[in-house]
Amino acid sequence: MRTTWLQGMGLLTGLVGLAQLGACASTSEPTDRLVSAESAIRAANEVGVSSNPNGQLHAKLAQEELAQAKRLIRDGENERAERLLWRATADAELAIAVTREDQSKRAAMAAEGTVTE
Amino acid sequence: MTEHTCKPSAIRTTVLVCASALAFGACASVPPPKELVSARTEYTRGEQGMARTLNPAGLHDARVALDKAEAAYTDDPSSQRTADLAYLALRRAQRAEVEAQTADWQQRQRRAKDNALHAQAKAAGEARTELADTKQELAAERDARAAAESRTRTVLAELTAAHAAAVKEEPRGIVVTLSGSVLFASGKAALLPSAESSLGEVARAVGAEQDKALLVEGHTDSRGSEATNQTLAKARADAVAAYLITHGVPAERVTTAGIGSSRPVADNSSAEGRAENRRVEIVIQTREAR
Repeated sequence: MRTTWLQGMGLLTGLVGLAQLGACASTSEPTDRLVSAESAIRAANEVGVSSNPNGQLHAKLAQEELAQAKRLIRDGENERAERLLWRATADAELAIAVTREDQSKRAAMAAEGTVTE
Repeated sequence: MTEHTCKPSAIRTTVLVCASALAFGACASVPPPKELVSARTEYTRGEQGMARTLNPAGLHDARVALDKAEAAYTDDPSSQRTADLAYLALRRAQRAEVEAQTADWQQRQRRAKDNALHAQAKAAGEARTELADTKQELAAERDARAAAESRTRTVLAELTAAHAAAVKEEPRGIVVTLSGSVLFASGKAALLPSAESSLGEVARAVGAEQDKALLVEGHTDSRGSEATNQTLAKARADAVAAYLITHGVPAERVTTAGIGSSRPVADNSSAEGRAENRRVEIVIQTREAR
């Protein structure tokens, strides 16, 4: 009786382990996140981040994070890759915001006739 | 065996207490990741800055992201997921503040443009008023000139009607021709007393054209030497000019010329023709006197 119980527990543990392994392996590739990150980076470049050092810095971070996420996807580490893609998107969006802020500042100062450059 | 005698509810309670103790211990001992510390600071800054009024939606997103990061920290303080969520919260908070600043610059730009437009409209209004004033002045001037010309023509028409002078229009201006025999004795340059009534009318007529230059020309017939004729012609023109000046015509408007016999208007071979050639012409010039 005791042997049977132990065997049953062993089997259950094994099944749980397999299920967990399966769960990890079955985390699908974060395709949507990848597309979002790529599109945010593209938008940042289109806004003109290269003209603003701060925007450029965040865009560069986003690109590095995107590249790293792609490597992780290749290695099957989709969950970690997905979170890196969050970061990439957030950095690209901040790059856009920072660049737009700089552009608005210049436009306002020009309109006020107080360009200090 | 004793472990088999444990009640399931007792086991559950024990496990929960242990888990809570572990979680509490973890929270108390694992410091928040630097991303979370920065996210909290950045969010507080946004909440106290422009984002509160200029970008409340962005600030709300940042709050939601920060709450998720805090929850993850409570669940699993040292996990990479917690750090990642805190990173997102940090970026959201930074973005909220930057977007608020952008909105502020845009407001400033709009205000500056509005002010510029306002100033432009004001300047345009002033220019329009000035233009209207100028037009009014020009119109008044034109009317005054037309009235003066009308007065002149009336007087000149009266002169013509009274046979005191002949009036004609030429490209150089209105020419009032006075007969030499009416004005002067033969060979003399002094005005006859009888000339004064005619000249008085002429002075009134040409005096009405306040801003026109007057040229008084003396003409003779062809008898006698050219030099004598020219001297006589000039003296007669000067006499007429002097009369006009003493009767109200400003001296700076008047110039004189002794033409002599060089510009006859009739045949010098007959007595009538010579009489016509002996004359004084007063030209009311088209140019304005300086």
